[in-house]
Amino acid sequence: MSTNNSKMRLMKGDITNTEIEAFVFYARPDLQLGSGFGGAITVRGGASIQEELKQYGEVKVGDAVITSAGKMKAKYIIHAVGPRFQEKDTESKLRTTTLNVLKLADQRGIRTLAMPAMGVGFYGVPLDISAQVTLSMVKEYLRSKTGLEEVVFCVLDNREYNSFYAQLAKLGQK
Amino acid sequence: MSDSPARSQKAQKVLERFAKKLNRQMVGSLLACVHCGMCTDACHYVLANPGDPTFAPAYKADQVRRIFKRHFDWTGRVFPWWVKAKSVYSDDDLEQLKDIIFGKCTNCRRCSINCPMGVDFATFNRMARGLLVSVGVMPEGVAVASKDQWELGNQMGVLREDYLETLDWVSEELRQELGDPNAGIPIDVMNCDVVYAINPREIKYDPRTIADAAKIFHLAGENWTMPSEGWDMTNFGLFSGDDDLGGAVARRLYDKVEELRGKKLVISECGHGYRSTRCEGQNWGGVDVDFEMESSVITMLRYIKEGRIRIDPFKNNKSYTYHDSCNNARSCGLFEEPRELLQIVCNDFREMYPNRAENYCCTGGGGAMSMSEYSAQRLKSAKIKADQLKATGAKVVVTSCHNCVDGLTDLIRYYKLGMEVMQLVNLVANAAIVKEKVTAALP
Ligand code: SF4
Ligand code: SF4
Repeated sequence: MSTNNSKMRLMKGDITNTEIEAFVFYARPDLQLGSGFGGAITVRGGASIQEELKQYGEVKVGDAVITSAGKMKAKYIIHAVGPRFQEKDTESKLRTTTLNVLKLADQRGIRTLAMPAMGVGFYGVPLDISAQVTLSMVKEYLRSKTGLEEVVFCVLDNREYNSFYAQLAKLGQK
Repeated sequence: MSDSPARSQKAQKVLERFAKKLNRQMVGSLLACVHCGMCTDACHYVLANPGDPTFAPAYKADQVRRIFKRHFDWTGRVFPWWVKAKSVYSDDDLEQLKDIIFGKCTNCRRCSINCPMGVDFATFNRMARGLLVSVGVMPEGVAVASKDQWELGNQMGVLREDYLETLDWVSEELRQELGDPNAGIPIDVMNCDVVYAINPREIKYDPRTIADAAKIFHLAGENWTMPSEGWDMTNFGLFSGDDDLGGAVARRLYDKVEELRGKKLVISECGHGYRSTRCEGQNWGGVDVDFEMESSVITMLRYIKEGRIRIDPFKNNKSYTYHDSCNNARSCGLFEEPRELLQIVCNDFREMYPNRAENYCCTGGGGAMSMSEYSAQRLKSAKIKADQLKATGAKVVVTSCHNCVDGLTDLIRYYKLGMEVMQLVNLVANAAIVKEKVTAALP
């Protein structure tokens, strides 16, 4: 889907192993990389990424911070601390997090960015809410003045893909 | 637990989800207990902790039941003091509940099959685990494994390149061992008769089991493949009670078999993987599959009966006993076939008592091996299993479950039993006759 000169795209794959300038990691407030994608970042990118995160200490829900991507294919990782485990105001916090990710990407002059299904899975954000909130936020943002040329939603499996695809189709009709 | 009427966000969400999880089977188990105590001695925690009533299945069940009574049963709503109904209010209440439902039960279902009223505590214990997981209250090891399985597609955080590289060198070694350039592991081949899915433990700690399985498929002349992704047949959702994870994991595997147009999914030896993939996954995932699913135990037995592989049982020359995985035996009825297979591939089989559906848990079930905070409690409860193993006099305990391999290995070390742990695939591969071309079935 194109918005002004920027594109939104949907793909299935491992976001930590994608050829892209920057990707988003759905992080914890203490910024410990932990397991899952965090483990993949540590193994593929190296220990320097966790070291770099030390400068930020603990961050609030909604915030996003940036590090290099170490030895990974990407150049940067945006660590975004979104809502987790049915906490209050999940939807509005997810909006704030998504917006902060996009602003940070712009500040750093990033042109291509990959986002996962934000908060879906382990952190329990419902798939339809994640798809609806993040796709509409990104679409809206790309209409404004931005250096972002492409935002790729890189999801894990058919279940996520189908939900994002349906939501994207709905947005395309608007 | 606190009596404060103010309720935390997490406690509130737990109650909301509780209401959604109630079905007839669950409510039946929550209501039917008459506290007769007949399940008490079925539990290995009770037997290892005589005099501590907090390990009794009915006591543990009551910690969940009283929440149910307080909110969903009229007696508890009207006379809470009479039926001991009590709600959860604080995060601390949830933490206390966590230590019971994760730390004092392996969800082995031995109490369930010994209850004359049909109370299946393990089923609602799993449901209660799911309630806590949904608000982020869980042992650290459960969080680590769940996140790995959600995000990397397997519960041990194995990366795709490591998986493929391991299969590659296993293939190379197999070619050398058999002296056959055609041996090896075919990846992502379409239209195969068998798609073989494994436990990530096999990649990380025990690739010998993959090599043994590949050897058996090769000798049997099977038209088989392994998937490059969606290859993990285990499912941490069974342990954590997270039905969404259960469904997502099962669907990834089913989708891959369908994409490859495989005729049959063969599941390597793993109790919880077998139960999750074959028995529960379609319900969790809300899907139907139209290919067959089978345990590799049955596949291996069939190859021998059909004469596709021949066996020299003298190659396995120790004494062997068989431990039933709870998920295989109690929950899926898979206990005769492994015994039949074991007695074909060795000459000295010694039964363990009690056995089959009544066998005791390896004490590492229900994800217990990942919950290091409860290790001391787990190993204490393992005394029952240790005594049972010792009484067989066997040198080797065979099991059809990777989780049980870890649970048994740990307790054998702790109680200094000096026994070895193996799986059927190891014994079948070791006894398989390689050189001759097989044309006839065993008499
Ligand atoms: S055997 Fe059944 S009815 Fe008796 S105490 Fe145990 S769960 Fe309750
Ligand atoms: S399921 Fe097993 S471990 Fe849990 S209470 Fe029942 S017998 Fe004990």
